[in-house]
Amino acid sequence: MEQLWTMTVSDLRQRVRDRSVIIFAVVVPLALMVVFNLVFGGTEELELEPVTVAAAVPDDDELGRVVVAALGEVGAPEVTVQDVDAAEVRGLAEAGTVQLGIVVPEGFSEALARGEGPVLQLVEGDDAGIETDILVAVVQGVLDQLAAGTAAAAAAGELGLTHEQVATVARQAATAGPAVTLAEGEASDEQLSGGATLVAGQAGLFLLFTVGFGVLSLVAEREQGTLARLRSMPMRPGLVVAAKALVGFVLGVVATTVLLVAGSLMFGVNFGAPLAVGVLVVCAVTAATSLMLVVARLARTAEQANIVQSILAIALGTAAGAFFPLTATGVVGQLLDLNPVAAFIRGLGITSGGGGLGDIGVPVAYMLGFAVVVVALSRLLPDRGREL
Amino acid sequence: MRPVLAITAVELRRFLRDRSNIFFVFIFPLVLVLVIGSQFGGGGSPGRVVLVGEGSDLRTAVVTALEDDGVAVALAAADDALEQVARGRADVVVQLERADADAFAAGGDVTLDVVASSQAGAPATVERVRTAVQAVTVQQGQLAALTAAGADEAAAQSALGRVAGALDEPRLEVVDVDEVAQELSGLGQFDVGAASQVLLFVFLISLAGSTTLIQARRYGVVGRTLTAPVSTTQLLAGQALGRFVIALFQGAYIMAATALLFGVDWGNLWLSAVVLAAFAAAAAGAAMLLGSLLDNENAAVGAGIGLGLVLAALGGGMLPLELFPDSLRGVSLATPHAWAYEAFAEIQRHDGTLADVAPQLAVLLAMAVALLGIGSWALRRSLSRAM
Repeated sequence: MEQLWTMTVSDLRQRVRDRSVIIFAVVVPLALMVVFNLVFGGTEELELEPVTVAAAVPDDDELGRVVVAALGEVGAPEVTVQDVDAAEVRGLAEAGTVQLGIVVPEGFSEALARGEGPVLQLVEGDDAGIETDILVAVVQGVLDQLAAGTAAAAAAGELGLTHEQVATVARQAATAGPAVTLAEGEASDEQLSGGATLVAGQAGLFLLFTVGFGVLSLVAEREQGTLARLRSMPMRPGLVVAAKALVGFVLGVVATTVLLVAGSLMFGVNFGAPLAVGVLVVCAVTAATSLMLVVARLARTAEQANIVQSILAIALGTAAGAFFPLTATGVVGQLLDLNPVAAFIRGLGITSGGGGLGDIGVPVAYMLGFAVVVVALSRLLPDRGREL
Repeated sequence: MRPVLAITAVELRRFLRDRSNIFFVFIFPLVLVLVIGSQFGGGGSPGRVVLVGEGSDLRTAVVTALEDDGVAVALAAADDALEQVARGRADVVVQLERADADAFAAGGDVTLDVVASSQAGAPATVERVRTAVQAVTVQQGQLAALTAAGADEAAAQSALGRVAGALDEPRLEVVDVDEVAQELSGLGQFDVGAASQVLLFVFLISLAGSTTLIQARRYGVVGRTLTAPVSTTQLLAGQALGRFVIALFQGAYIMAATALLFGVDWGNLWLSAVVLAAFAAAAAGAAMLLGSLLDNENAAVGAGIGLGLVLAALGGGMLPLELFPDSLRGVSLATPHAWAYEAFAEIQRHDGTLADVAPQLAVLLAMAVALLGIGSWALRRSLSRAM
């Protein structure tokens, strides 16, 4: 045990003196978090802002009024309707004064009733966002109902119904059928906010580099010949590997904790219960360290080890959504879930949503399962550096 | 001139022989163009809905109505669907229970449970679902109104069928006058991503490659070169040209590969190549500076990757500059990336001519001259430093 301790402390001292660990493990990810937050931070706003709509409706057009009135009744977003001339709509939208413009053409009601397919123009303005998308869907819904009324009235005419009956059918067609309503429930929220995703993603990605500094020094020692000297000492050879793994583990836990804490403070993010987050960090570092054991066996030289490590880190980090979120479902989604960085980010999503130790079972199982499989794999792989 | 070209050739040969470059130079940029293009390019789907429930007339009708509206629909078990929404992989879950399907078949009222994700696009998708389920009941409503007015049901049904083909439905024409939307409309699925990756990788690979300069100093290659009949100026010129050729090579490779594989339109090729050359010269200068200021290869790789990613993020290499907030747009002008981005945008989207991109080219060249000058000065100074 003393030997393990001595080797670990000595190695940790060397790593800390080497500025590259601090650059890679803390400085670069923090710099990226700050810049990504500046660049991407403004693009994700979930609040629905009030919307002003410029509506141009010919004076006597009854159905045109119905369409515009429907917009006024939308609760979320809050809508203010301004009556304007058709010629003004585009200008107001372009200037960003209104977010949506609606132009009802002359003779809209008559053309609709005759089934001539009138065209209603919507102008999405400068700064239009998700709110106008909602309003476009609302207008489409109203047009569908009006079209249904027209079709029913035409059918009523064909069937020889009286003028009054045709008018009643036209009015009732949209509402006479069974009502299908939507009841909105709330999802349990396992998503991290934009800022938290950046922090978790960068922490997860750079963890793979940080643990490498510990484990991959095994390869460097082999190249320099110091490994042979260590092996000549009166101790079990496995202890050397264990010490390297322990160094990677300690560096990983420290760096990831620093990144999560610094990230939370800088961007006002809360990852939830510290104990559960701590468990996630330890599991993620275990998985990452296990991966480096494979790299250490595959690589003949320190240069090769760096290459393989970088490729694995970037590939797993990108697939986990460290740079941009990937939306995948089905088999691809399940494959992405097996990635320990993805499991780490997912686990932090659960804890930040209020989940505790009992709720993070799945991501923890993915990370530990990954570690078990990968360690087993590292035992099976031939040690390519041994012949050196 | 021959010593300069010889040093350049050695630098390029080392770059091409480095096996890590097979992935980072040749494969990774194209994978990113593909992934980013397929995730974000071409406008994307107007929403992702997951339906829960056994097969029924109601489900078929809802799926058809949603898909007609362009919404991506998937079927899943309840738990799975709720998890997808909770994790933001889908916008909305619609639960169609057996009782709902039976009530619908019997012409009764139905209340569907929907669960929306907390993603920005979810409210709009809920509205699309609302429109779609309304449409599902339209035919029943028409029939009900006609029979209530005294028509025979079978006759009403056939009359509805006859008029359906004869009437033109009212249409919605949506015009987007948003500047950003107009600027980015009409671009190919991979066009923005490809230009961004050129900027990102040319600089990133150049900066990370500055380690070879440190190695050349550490292993005494630079010292030995200078014992040959080669002047310091020739050595500096060779190193600068070497880095420039590597940067140019990386950019030209991504441009050619994305044009061939993904049909990316680079506009006027000669003009795009000139922009790339000016940008590559700036990248070469920055790489020389980094490789001269630091004496530790690992630190240089870390700083190179960090700087490369930060500068790319700030300069439009990760998010289109048009989407930047105004304050940040000002900051972005300090990076060569932003000037090259604007020049590429002008050439790709507006058939820009040399006169149109002259201001951007001038700034890029000024940056390149400054960086190459400072880089050469720093390298000359570093030669006399002990390592």
